[in-house]
Amino acid sequence: METQEKEFKSIEVFNVTSDIYSQAITGELIGMSNFATLAETIDDPHEKMEAVEHADSERRHAEGFMAYAKKLGLNVNINLKGSYWNRIREQFLNYAAKKDFIACIIIQEVMLEAFAISMYTDAGNALGGASKKLFLSIAEEEKEHMDHSVELLQEELHKDPDTFIKKFEGIHFNCMTILSEFSARTDLKGHCGVCNGDCMKNALHHVNLNVDSLRGNALALYAKALDTIGIPGEKSIVWIAKLPA
Amino acid sequence: MRTSELEELPISKIKAIYDYIPPRGIFKMHVKSLTGIETNGLYIDTFIAPDKLNAQNLRANIQKVKDAVKVVHHLNIKMAILGGFTSLLLEGNFNDFEDYDMVLTTGNSLTSAYVVKGLEKAAREHGISMSESNVLVIGATGDIGMACTNYLKGKVNRLLLCARNMNRLKTFGQRLLDEGHEVKYSSDLSELAPEADLIISVASSSEIAISSLKPKVIICDAGYPKNLEEKVEKVPGVFLFHGGMGQLKHGYSFNPDYTSQFYRYPAPHLGHGCIIEIILMAFEGIKENFSMGKGNITSEKIDLMYELSLKHGIELAPFYNSDGILEASKNNSTT
Repeated sequence: METQEKEFKSIEVFNVTSDIYSQAITGELIGMSNFATLAETIDDPHEKMEAVEHADSERRHAEGFMAYAKKLGLNVNINLKGSYWNRIREQFLNYAAKKDFIACIIIQEVMLEAFAISMYTDAGNALGGASKKLFLSIAEEEKEHMDHSVELLQEELHKDPDTFIKKFEGIHFNCMTILSEFSARTDLKGHCGVCNGDCMKNALHHVNLNVDSLRGNALALYAKALDTIGIPGEKSIVWIAKLPA
Repeated sequence: MRTSELEELPISKIKAIYDYIPPRGIFKMHVKSLTGIETNGLYIDTFIAPDKLNAQNLRANIQKVKDAVKVVHHLNIKMAILGGFTSLLLEGNFNDFEDYDMVLTTGNSLTSAYVVKGLEKAAREHGISMSESNVLVIGATGDIGMACTNYLKGKVNRLLLCARNMNRLKTFGQRLLDEGHEVKYSSDLSELAPEADLIISVASSSEIAISSLKPKVIICDAGYPKNLEEKVEKVPGVFLFHGGMGQLKHGYSFNPDYTSQFYRYPAPHLGHGCIIEIILMAFEGIKENFSMGKGNITSEKIDLMYELSLKHGIELAPFYNSDGILEASKNNSTT
């Protein structure tokens, strides 16, 4: 560990980089689990195979992060039962239990992916070097997932706009509330259970990041995804404004 | 926008997220004309934070305006007004939107109309002769400042022009002198203010301070934001009103209705001239860009827009400022 830590400018940079990787790996494993669960909710064999494929894609992302974290000697903490990640997973499982394929897609492919794509992009650009390449390439793959799902959700909205928007609103408040609490300046529901030691938000400046821009960019991408799906801006702005901060 | 069951967010938390929000529709608007025509609109916010309106953020802000116009295009809306700072950022240049098949305007013709007509009305009510007055225009080289100056030239005793950019001011001032008008120009407001009988302020600078005023001077504050009261020397007899506004006699409605949260005025159904201009264009079915570029607003355009405004039952707003309706307008402020 000592030899590896020397590659970092300071112990603070090492710690915050470790926490960023910990969150990314935990998030990918949550995504993998979600797609695996989703596969069980689908009857169509082709769609079932696609869900398994997506689960495998998230597994590969997690493995990619884990391999590079190992190479750097980072202090990685994977905790799928960490407070926020676990609550998001529970929300997903609730909808999966009802075989609500569309709700599962909204949670995994719009909400979680918007945050993943945006935060990977910001983190990659801030960390630089090989980390940048890794984070940005995974963000790019996640973006493809998101774009594909957005098309599917556009079709769903087109079938019955009022019902779809009402359903989306309910999912938004169930899930985005958790992501919003998680990404607030201070964790609104306590320690996440993934970061080593104190909350990494207090140390992000060591890698030229700050929680306001991470959160702002993530919510901006989420808002743009809602726009692309076709949810009226005057509705989505109210949904976003009502999130905890 | 947060409902009563939620705690109010402190400004610091709003600022932390505000300018990340992509441009989007905020509320729909329904308007009715005196002639019976009705039309619908959508208010799109660019989410440019006021404290980010500086040179450092110019490129990002221009991109946000372009993104907002793209939203209009995606929603298949065929007419748009780029109000407030958005047209200032683009300097009225709509070239980037030529492929969008939409009609655009800065709305500055009607804003200018409400400014000059408001000033004329205030002067009349206070027994001041326009032709014997010296009119000071603060922000004279901006689009509205130039439009008002061009409208008033030949109708007043002397034009006093003030702007920050001395080169532009000199060019504009000299042109008016060459046309034979009585003009004095300076970038130093204190050189001009003591001579003014009537003042139009269309500048957005926070650095304006007006002092050494004549008694009973009339001031039309048509800048953004309208906060000139804080910057004018407290002299008894000064009549300061917020200009560039109209009153829609047949009302308007918002959906969702945010009128209790913002767009609050001391009289009902007030609206900015720029927004009313696009409403009139919709009522009239005008299919070409109207106010565009900088320095292109003619007196004919001002008069045309004002006539259309009256035709559709939209009149000058009653005189008001941050203290409320001003005495002279109290009897006419309700619809």
